Amino acid sequence: MTAAPPPGDGQVGLVIDGREVRVPKGTLLLDAASEVGIHIPIYCAHPKMDPVAVCRMCLVQVEKLPKLQPACATVVSEGMVVDTQSDATAKAREGMLEFLLLNHPLDCPVCDRGGECDLQDFAFRYGPDTSRFPITEKVHFDKAVPLSDKIELDQERCILCWRCVRYYDEITGEKEIVLQQRGVHTAVATFDGQPLRSDYQGNLPEICPVGALTHRQYRFKARPWDLIRTKGVCPECSYGCNVFVDSRDFEVKRFASRDNPMVDDMWLCDRGRYSATSWNSTSRLRRPLVRDAAGGVRDVGVADAVKEAARRLLAVSERGGGEVIGVLGSPDCTNEEAWLLQRLAREVLRTPHIDHQLAEMLRLGPAEHALGIAEIESCTAVVVLGPEPEVNAPVLTLRLHKAATKRGVAVHRVAANAEPRDITARVGDARLVGVVADETNRARAAAVASALAGGGTAVKRMTVTRGGNGRGVKDMGLLPDLAPGYRPAVPAGMGGRAILESATSGSIQALLLLHAGGVLAGLGALVESALRIAKVVVVIDTKPGVLADAATVLIPGHSLMEKQGSVTNLEGRVQRIRAALPPATSVPSELRVLSMLAGALGAEGWGSGDLMEVHRALAADVPAYAAAGNGGRARWEVAAA
Amino acid sequence: MTGRVLADDRRVDVALSEQTRVEISRQKERYPSARSAILPALWAVQHELGYLAPAGMEEVARILDLAPSEVQAVATFYSMYFQKPGGRHTVMVCVNVACALRGADDVVAYLERALGCPSGRTTADGMFTWQSTIECLGACGYAPMMQVDHRFYENLTPAKIDAILDRVAGEAGDDGHATMQAVAMPKAPPSVAPPPAEAEGPPSDARMPGTVKGESVPGQKRRRRGRPEGNDL
Repeated sequence: MTAAPPPGDGQVGLVIDGREVRVPKGTLLLDAASEVGIHIPIYCAHPKMDPVAVCRMCLVQVEKLPKLQPACATVVSEGMVVDTQSDATAKAREGMLEFLLLNHPLDCPVCDRGGECDLQDFAFRYGPDTSRFPITEKVHFDKAVPLSDKIELDQERCILCWRCVRYYDEITGEKEIVLQQRGVHTAVATFDGQPLRSDYQGNLPEICPVGALTHRQYRFKARPWDLIRTKGVCPECSYGCNVFVDSRDFEVKRFASRDNPMVDDMWLCDRGRYSATSWNSTSRLRRPLVRDAAGGVRDVGVADAVKEAARRLLAVSERGGGEVIGVLGSPDCTNEEAWLLQRLAREVLRTPHIDHQLAEMLRLGPAEHALGIAEIESCTAVVVLGPEPEVNAPVLTLRLHKAATKRGVAVHRVAANAEPRDITARVGDARLVGVVADETNRARAAAVASALAGGGTAVKRMTVTRGGNGRGVKDMGLLPDLAPGYRPAVPAGMGGRAILESATSGSIQALLLLHAGGVLAGLGALVESALRIAKVVVVIDTKPGVLADAATVLIPGHSLMEKQGSVTNLEGRVQRIRAALPPATSVPSELRVLSMLAGALGAEGWGSGDLMEVHRALAADVPAYAAAGNGGRARWEVAAA
Repeated sequence: MTGRVLADDRRVDVALSEQTRVEISRQKERYPSARSAILPALWAVQHELGYLAPAGMEEVARILDLAPSEVQAVATFYSMYFQKPGGRHTVMVCVNVACALRGADDVVAYLERALGCPSGRTTADGMFTWQSTIECLGACGYAPMMQVDHRFYENLTPAKIDAILDRVAGEAGDDGHATMQAVAMPKAPPSVAPPPAEAEGPPSDARMPGTVKGESVPGQKRRRRGRPEGNDL
């Protein structure tokens, strides 16, 4: 059928259902078929795992072969003629489904997976209409057996595809789940019935092709067709895993994985995944308030609140200049908010005292996050300093595991304070070494990197930033010594801790706090006295707490599930977030509030604070972000160290 | 022997003896992959503890450098590895084709009456646990047959079964779950059977793999010897 190709071009030509396909040598039949849009049903095959060919669902007819072949484990060869629609194939599929449904309880109406279940879908599409086996003779297992506080097992629904076992074997390496017993008694189990301890259990229900493994958090919460699916980014850490925010009835019901091979590789950690419902809290700030000197509180409209904030800020700065004002954002701000906040501080309030956290991060440089997440796989060796990087960005662990087991990368986990000399000796000869450290360990990471580079090795660093948009707010210049794009800020101001201390001593008289509740929580006396002593405390935040209680002007903000914008992950990847929930307050967006505030302070040309307007201005100011677009990495000129 | 059936959840949490741990390490070296040593290692554990206690499987996993879950996955696949503690002696009756044709059903019924508990359970006095769910034990030429601890008993009749059970119950010091060494050493021949013809051990001794004799598994030795145990019973 196909003409013989020139040998050695690395491509193989074959015919699937009469359509000619050319794919690289070594491609699996399943992937070759999907290349031309031909669907082959699968259960055990999984794009992120090695083939095992145990479920036999993908059997297809290959010319000249006496038996049907599993498409998921058959490598294409030159001149192969495949028929995925032949009678034999159809009969095999029907037979497999009849067997798979032999002991299946058919409890789809009460199954969380109903509506997004491969067994259901394939039974409709390829299965027999009826079963020849009596429904009364099914083998039953206990239902809804907890495997941990997060995962529930319904063994009756299991089709023994081994995905969960292979996930724990290949993807996490923890080997917590195995199949025990045999025959119809075969069951998913842990050693001695111990609960699962993994930090990545939430991926199990997603890789399970049926409803055997389900989330306890999501049990009976929604039907997939009732969910509104919004593309989002997990806000729990700065790794930036892509998620679907699935909501129903104005509540987030779950975070589902949204495969981005460059970032999460479709795996989420439990901390991130199960943080989903925390966004449903109704303990929120809803109306602007103004507090007078005597402590009396007034409900006001947002326009009045902004005017009052401007009046009070002007009052202190007229006497002491802009330098009596301290401005704090946080990693909970979007890039657009952060950029606008620093612009307000530097151009309108004329204060250099601006930061996003209390830990001092001076002289940051883009070299600190030159290493991309997916690039880990092409390193010769990776040095991880201390446990903090993986504690603060848990999905990193899975990428390191993949790099080590599937790409042959030498992963060296060393003590955070290990001697650079010893690390260099341990790494030995290497082409490209990644150095991964937490942002609190920057100095050490720099020392290790320069020791490695001194030996002539190419080195790229990855720095795990704290907080969801920790990288983005740094890029946006919420730093005392750096303006957006890592340009030096002149003059440099005080950092977060110094701002609070100066507020306590009286040299800072006004504080403007945007989504700072998270970073200031749990700091006790320093924050309390700073808030008490400062004359003006303008707070824009979402939740009640110390800040809201102390605010002289309080303007409710929007949670990350209620707004649009962009956030940047630890490798500098700029990703969009979209509103998945209706706003808890009628106050306009933070961008609009900041623009109104700028106007009230007398600034001109600030516009209305529309997202697209701010985003354009941001992109013009920071060309790396304009180039990154949506989903790309911001690439900076890395100055030679 | 009738009476109350003991609860199945009695467990022992004892550490393995040094001897068993050495045996497991020795098995590990025999194979290119440590996973291959799981089966002989589990035999050693069951031989010492009488069943595969979780603590024992964990120890196997530790020595073989595997996950405990992998060890248990293998252990639960095979019916001759016991997941629960049983009686002092283990009785396994073959019910496969050859034995069935030669009256295995009657043997099963007789054992149930004689021991006073259903298959899979333990007698009230804790002496016997018996199973009729184990597949062919490989002594088809002498059907019907059963295995008591590590020994085969063949050409069974009710009278022979009574005699075997009485004798085994009365045997002091040979509880079938003795240490490897105890099994490896020749035992005094059963009083009802003639002395062994060969010097290598008593005729009824189907050896554990990995004991002094090494390679044989229950069944193989019997067939070669060709003289059924307990013909005189």
